[in-house]
Amino acid sequence: MPGPSAFDEMTNADGSVREPYRVLEQWLKEQKPQALGLMAADAEGIFRRLGITFAVYGSNEGTEKLIPFDIIPRIISAIEWRKLSKGIEQRVRALNAFLHDIYHRQEILKAGRVPEKLILNNSAFCPEMMGLDPARGIYSHIIGVDLVRVSPDEWYVLEDNLRTPSGVSYMLEDREAMLQLAPDLFQRTKVAPVETYPENLRRTLESVAPRGASGSPTLAVLTPGIYNSAYFEHSFLADQMGAELCEGQDLFVENGKVYMRTTTGPRRVDVIYRRIDDDYLDPLTFKPDSMLGVPGLFDAYRAGNVTLVNAPGTGIADDKAVYTYVPEIIEFYLGEKALLSNVPTYNCTKPDERAYVLEHIAELVVKEVHGSGGYGMLVGPTSTREQHELFRNKIIERPDNYIVQPTLALSTCPTYVDAGIAPRHVDLRPYVLVGDQIRITPGGLTRVALKEGSLVVNSSQGGGTKDTWVLED
Amino acid sequence: MKLTVTHTLTCPLASPSRAVEHVLLTALSTPQQRVERWSIEMPGFADAATFRDGFGNKAYLVSQTKPGDTLRVTVSGTVETIDRAGVLGRLEYDPPPAMFRRPTRQTKPDAALIDGIDPSGGRIAALHEIMGRLHEGRAAMHQSQSAGVQEQASGSAPADLAHAFIGAARALDIPARYVTGYLLDEDGAASFHAWGEAFDEGLGWIGFDALLNVCPTERHIRLAAGLDAIGTMPVRMVPASTEVPAETIEIVEG
Repeated sequence: MPGPSAFDEMTNADGSVREPYRVLEQWLKEQKPQALGLMAADAEGIFRRLGITFAVYGSNEGTEKLIPFDIIPRIISAIEWRKLSKGIEQRVRALNAFLHDIYHRQEILKAGRVPEKLILNNSAFCPEMMGLDPARGIYSHIIGVDLVRVSPDEWYVLEDNLRTPSGVSYMLEDREAMLQLAPDLFQRTKVAPVETYPENLRRTLESVAPRGASGSPTLAVLTPGIYNSAYFEHSFLADQMGAELCEGQDLFVENGKVYMRTTTGPRRVDVIYRRIDDDYLDPLTFKPDSMLGVPGLFDAYRAGNVTLVNAPGTGIADDKAVYTYVPEIIEFYLGEKALLSNVPTYNCTKPDERAYVLEHIAELVVKEVHGSGGYGMLVGPTSTREQHELFRNKIIERPDNYIVQPTLALSTCPTYVDAGIAPRHVDLRPYVLVGDQIRITPGGLTRVALKEGSLVVNSSQGGGTKDTWVLED
Repeated sequence: MKLTVTHTLTCPLASPSRAVEHVLLTALSTPQQRVERWSIEMPGFADAATFRDGFGNKAYLVSQTKPGDTLRVTVSGTVETIDRAGVLGRLEYDPPPAMFRRPTRQTKPDAALIDGIDPSGGRIAALHEIMGRLHEGRAAMHQSQSAGVQEQASGSAPADLAHAFIGAARALDIPARYVTGYLLDEDGAASFHAWGEAFDEGLGWIGFDALLNVCPTERHIRLAAGLDAIGTMPVRMVPASTEVPAETIEIVEG
């Protein structure tokens, strides 16, 4: 059960409906009893036709799954969104400034505001990037900021995904499906469009083409291939923005420049939106046995002949241990207070904080510093004693490998489940593009924990998605 | 001392359709050396991309289409070396020294090597002590076993010693880096060489050659610096050479 403290985004404690949800509530009331069930079945049909699946690592029954889609949209008012997007923009500006500094003069380390060892000895720090000047000084062009809400005015940033955030195709398809399922609902209220994302992505990529590229730069999406869990998204985005979808073997480096093989001969590539991890990008510079990358790609980038999006080494700015310093980072580079709050985080390498964590583990959330996707984490309140004990031992053994946070009372949204409409916990991942300007798609991907009372929204752990609406004034 | 180097590398290949190399074989002028002329010859070099890498080295990205079954690289140059007791100082393109405290797989510290050494009593003395211990350790090993066999078994002695030196310095929180170059020894024999450089706030970068137990002299020519041997390979290539490349190195005075 969602605790009594969880904030519901539709219904106030006194049973009244919050302003942004009034139209939806009216519409829900008007639906015949069977209508929502039929709509949910239709939705499944739509997604099967679209072919959106994802791979679940470590599951036994077939690896391809359909991410459940919830037919009830999540709604954010124009005022709420303006506030939120300001905070997001501030964050991505500061983090890009941080990356530039870390890979140049390292003023923030010299000033002692962020511990030197935390950055320079971190496996996410990429020494090969030192002194490199990427186009427009931008390192992370495509960002997904994970947020949770705990009250009408309080949002927390869970993590900044500055490497290769995925899921934007779900945001687009969720809207597409919603438009098909409930066209009348869109007649009654003005919802800000998300369909402009692929066009904005193309503009962003073109705006960071290397100097000397032609007026219409050639863009490529570099994928690890069909076995990657997000392959669908790679091919979808390439298709939507009119770029080539390439695997490593489709590209080659000659005379310091990058070319793709085409039926009409080699074609120079200017900007690569790569969905391959840093380590596998180029066997000439990184992992020598990588078969996924392009030999010489990093050197061609270093020589200024191609732009990589996102830049290698951006992981140092979304490392879970660096996360705790983001408010400091914002102040250092922008001279402003952070508009969005971080979740308070315990540092297990500090004895007093570790002692607290070990004692209160049943109330806390434990995350692996380098983990993602909800793997290797503990949600204290919903775990067994054995699991608590297991994580206690893990923390004692490697205190630097974990960060620990209080269990937040994530907001809930009305969700269509077997029993009808019931509140379920949600988070939000807005997508940000940074190029000639910062473009934040209104809304983003809402993930919903479909299990009653669950706080884990990851699709690999039984989460679903919702269409996310930002209302226009 | 004026030194003229000629270095050839012959890399056997399995006749790939394409080969790409990252080349770190360029000597740059520093307070320890003035480069009079320097050239690299290899197929595709005229069209290479050149840039500063993340460690301040001058690197080349070279490629060939259908390179055949061998790739031949010839380096030649003349350098006026200056003995500055191993003090390199600070170079224009050096990244911040703190970065060179980062441990790598190849520079794991050996606790015995730094046992009892306290750099707070003098950084440079501590570094000399590490260099001395490494040199003695190696000499002892040579006496107890047939030197020739030992040499073959341990791979490249200069590389191992440089890694050990760097690992020890970093364990004492002193920034240290791996340096490649050429050496003309007292007997007139020339070799591709490696040593360590450690950072001192006052003097800047200082070289330590544990193989010879000296700070680099006018018989050393400096090429590239990095975190370890992997990051400073003179020619890193994809696909990799099918065998260890054959090498000839000649250094003459004048």
